[in-house]
Amino acid sequence: MREQSPQGKQRHVEPQPRDATHWARYVKTLEGTAGPNVEGRRVVGPLQGFGKMWQKTYRVRLEGASAPPAEVVEAWRARFPELSGFGEKGFRVPAGGLVPGAVALLGGLSGVMVLYSDEESFTYMTPEGHPFSGWITFSAHTDEDATTVAQAHLLIRANDPLYEFMMPLGLHRLEDRTWQRTLRNVAAHFGAASEVETRIVCVDPKRQWRCYKNIRHNALILSALHVITTPLRWIKRRHQVSGTSTILKP
Amino acid sequence: MHALRGEFEGVRLINRERREDMPQAQVTMDVRKVNDDVSVIDVKGELTAFAEGVLMDAYNQASDGKVHAIVLNFEGLEYMNSSGIGLLVTLLIRVNREKQRLLTYGLSEHYRNIFQITRLDDAIGIYDSEEEAVRAGAA
Repeated sequence: MREQSPQGKQRHVEPQPRDATHWARYVKTLEGTAGPNVEGRRVVGPLQGFGKMWQKTYRVRLEGASAPPAEVVEAWRARFPELSGFGEKGFRVPAGGLVPGAVALLGGLSGVMVLYSDEESFTYMTPEGHPFSGWITFSAHTDEDATTVAQAHLLIRANDPLYEFMMPLGLHRLEDRTWQRTLRNVAAHFGAASEVETRIVCVDPKRQWRCYKNIRHNALILSALHVITTPLRWIKRRHQVSGTSTILKP
Repeated sequence: MHALRGEFEGVRLINRERREDMPQAQVTMDVRKVNDDVSVIDVKGELTAFAEGVLMDAYNQASDGKVHAIVLNFEGLEYMNSSGIGLLVTLLIRVNREKQRLLTYGLSEHYRNIFQITRLDDAIGIYDSEEEAVRAGAA
């Protein structure tokens, strides 16, 4: 495609691919989120994490429901806090909704960025400090017998050594229960009551020891430190206020 | 060790199952062996979850012998979603396991940005031309 520039010269313009509006734009760090452990952080994929790489797929067939995949994904995206069980406080959707590039905050602990969103799927990517480094894709498709299938698909590693240590101690189970519950809720929303099928595969059993330093962003550690140092900040603030009032007292 | 083998078997089993119930993939992948060290896979069409079987078959064909690098030619890439990016990650893990390198060329500005935001560019070498990618792969 060629386009006329203001100077009258023709320049080559690449045609926009069909997926152009589905992807988030590149940002070096997440800004303007006002979220602790999110603001100023970089997003991370499964290649940047520390632990073993896991592919987890949770799937439910919406037997008896007539909703096509696009309708399922639209409802899932619009009611994500409710259907995931996180609630409005546990998953704070930004004002513009879950559009590509938007950042949703997970309680006061971390957040996720919408990496990709189209009619039949949407994907979250995690920031540094989140328990997992990777992507989670929610999608729906039609099976061979024309039944709509809803699916959550994760490609993740534990972000740092502490989270990796916690994986067999309950973090794996917590993750599985969260997305199994979400899919049950999606099925119930469309009046279907089917079993959730779970497939877990260790894609890469190697730990990436070069990424051990990711622990400096660990949201759990930083949040705990924040709570512990609250009295110190309170004292400092009191000191600053009394200092200011002394100055104002001529 | 036995447990690990079990995990890999699991991956293979799932790949096979997916291929059986796979809707038609809107993609073709032709394999060219450029020299003893490098094979090129020409990707044409859409890279989505449905392309998994085609991509893995192309990789098996491309890595035949003692190839040191696999080059993905994305000049013909028309569409890619987040599942497509996920496929590239699992391909990269397989390539690294075989002690090979994964390189690309022919990415448009849009897809370069996607490689950047997903941070695939940390692990997959991006080149402007086939010549440069092949030279890097043979080095």
